[in-house]
Amino acid sequence: MQTAPGPIVEIDSVTKRYVRTVALDDISFDVAENELFALLGPNGAGKTTLIEILCTIQRGDKGSVQIAGLDVAKQSREVRKRLGVVFQEPSLDTRLTVAENLDFHGRIYGVPASVRRRRKEELLELVELAGWRDRLVRTLSKGMQRRLEIARALIHDARLLVLDEPTVGLDAQTRSRIWEYLRTLQQEREITVLVTTHYIDEVEDCDRLCIIDQGRVLALDTPQGLKNRYGYHLLRLTPQDEEVRHELRHRFGEALAERGKDLVMAAPEAEALKLIEELGDKLKAFFVERPSLESVFLSLTGYEVRDEVAGARERLLEFGRRGGEHTQ
Amino acid sequence: MGYLSGIYAIWLRELKRAVRDRGQLVGGVSRPLLWVLIMGIGLNPYFRGEVYGEVRFVVPFTYLQFIFPAVIALNMMYTSVQSAVSVIWDREFGFLREVLVSPMPRAAVLFGKILGGTTVALFHGILVLVLARFADVTFSPTAWLKGLGLMILLGFALTSLGVVIANRVRTFEGFGVFSNAVILPLYFTSSSIFPLDPSLTRAQTVVIYPDWLVFLIQANPITYAVDALRGVFLDFNQFHPLWGPLLLLAMCLVFFLAALRDFRRA
Ligand SMILES: Nc1ncnc2c1ncn2[C@@H]1O[C@H](COP(=O)(O)OP(=O)(O)OP(=O)(O)O)[C@@H](O)[C@H]1O
Ligand SMILES: [Mg+2]
Repeated sequence: MQTAPGPIVEIDSVTKRYVRTVALDDISFDVAENELFALLGPNGAGKTTLIEILCTIQRGDKGSVQIAGLDVAKQSREVRKRLGVVFQEPSLDTRLTVAENLDFHGRIYGVPASVRRRRKEELLELVELAGWRDRLVRTLSKGMQRRLEIARALIHDARLLVLDEPTVGLDAQTRSRIWEYLRTLQQEREITVLVTTHYIDEVEDCDRLCIIDQGRVLALDTPQGLKNRYGYHLLRLTPQDEEVRHELRHRFGEALAERGKDLVMAAPEAEALKLIEELGDKLKAFFVERPSLESVFLSLTGYEVRDEVAGARERLLEFGRRGGEHTQ
Repeated sequence: MGYLSGIYAIWLRELKRAVRDRGQLVGGVSRPLLWVLIMGIGLNPYFRGEVYGEVRFVVPFTYLQFIFPAVIALNMMYTSVQSAVSVIWDREFGFLREVLVSPMPRAAVLFGKILGGTTVALFHGILVLVLARFADVTFSPTAWLKGLGLMILLGFALTSLGVVIANRVRTFEGFGVFSNAVILPLYFTSSSIFPLDPSLTRAQTVVIYPDWLVFLIQANPITYAVDALRGVFLDFNQFHPLWGPLLLLAMCLVFFLAALRDFRRA
């Protein structure tokens, strides 16, 4: 699947239990070098716990984690040198200026002054904060602070950038800009980016996506791979006449839903395309919607449908799951 | 050695924060003014009176001169509160994590922080020294240097103590309690505002001040710090002159190690 060199992160059966909750339940996966890797999971899935174990500020109860071939528990100092971290909770000194925060970081990571100055300018340009260099962080907006944290994490030679929900609580525009920065960084500086989120719409463009829930890995693949495996195509057919409608209803029964004059059903790609071809001119019109990650997420976790008032779209998806063969 | 720049960064940050904190500066300036100018001048006449005609005074100084070294210690004690606040602040507002995921060893992080606090404390001590002229305290350049040395030790010990206490205080609210429950009692029982021996001989001490008070004063390590400062600036000691510096060194060591143990555990 991936042509990249050996994995930079190797997570091997990591388990973490808090007093009453099992935050991580035997998690294993690898992140390849120079990949934009997203960890998607609802609130309480265990994302932060996993990230904190990666960052050496927590220990798992069981299992091992290696970063760039180094054991996180045993060689934590070496691991930290290679790690750039943006925590879920802000960790800037809001009483220092933008530049002072960056300098502080450079110094505690032992970055030589000349390199520090150059990186500082580069990164401030990248996250569009160059004009804010001497402002107290306290006076920056939340989105700007987030961008500053991303810049800060890369003042030293990080090979792996870890971000825990960097976009939470930000407006759509800022969110998409942050993802642009991440992509730029991953490509231009050839670093690996591991980012967690609970927004599905964000992870469409990442290289690989790991979906976790209740401390377990539900699926891990490229977004397209996941859609192929867990998603469904949605077919909306407008029959030529009543006879055809009858025929289709008879043939698919429960799997088919009526929506006004249209018939709607969910099907795996091959089946959907075959059907369209076969029905051909029996249809007045048809419409195929490619599988979305949302449908993947739904079929994996069964959320939303259960938790929300089922809207038209959800009912269709629910329907698709009942009719599909690939339901878990 | 490789962590020098990191220690420097942490030290520098403490300084910048202190300088930008108006409240702390105002306190640092107004406190010595109150204690030296108001309290000192006000009580000056009551400090030495002839009791029975001819009296040999143990303390051959004016009240202003007598409390002057203690006010240095007091002003420095208040900065330790600030250091503690800064530790809690870092913890509560997430900045601590930035440091914890860095390659800096915890001991170096703590050392930088305490060094920063020490510098701020030293600065606040010097703010008092500026008033020396008004208190009629004169001293040689050597005394200056010795005094600075003692103040550095005192600052280091007090900042470490502040950090130790901060690790036990969960919230900022715990803080008023901290300063009232720690600083003022320590200050008042350090023979800062009255001499241990009010007039004549050692034997009289116990007669005039109750045992428990004498005990408290003798058990309070700040007593010896104040005594050391008096030794340097006034050339007057109530205890053996080596006691002060030795105890200060011991305090630096003990409080730093205690702070380090807490920090490693956190
Ligand atoms: N310090 C803790 N003590 C006890 N339970 C905890 C602790 N931290 C996390 N948990 C529990 O562990 C589970 C996983 O939490 P975690 O913070 O890792 O999830 P998350 O995916 O980061 O969620 P979110 O999207 O809300 O940040 C949750 O059920 C949470 O309640
Ligand atoms: Mg989280």
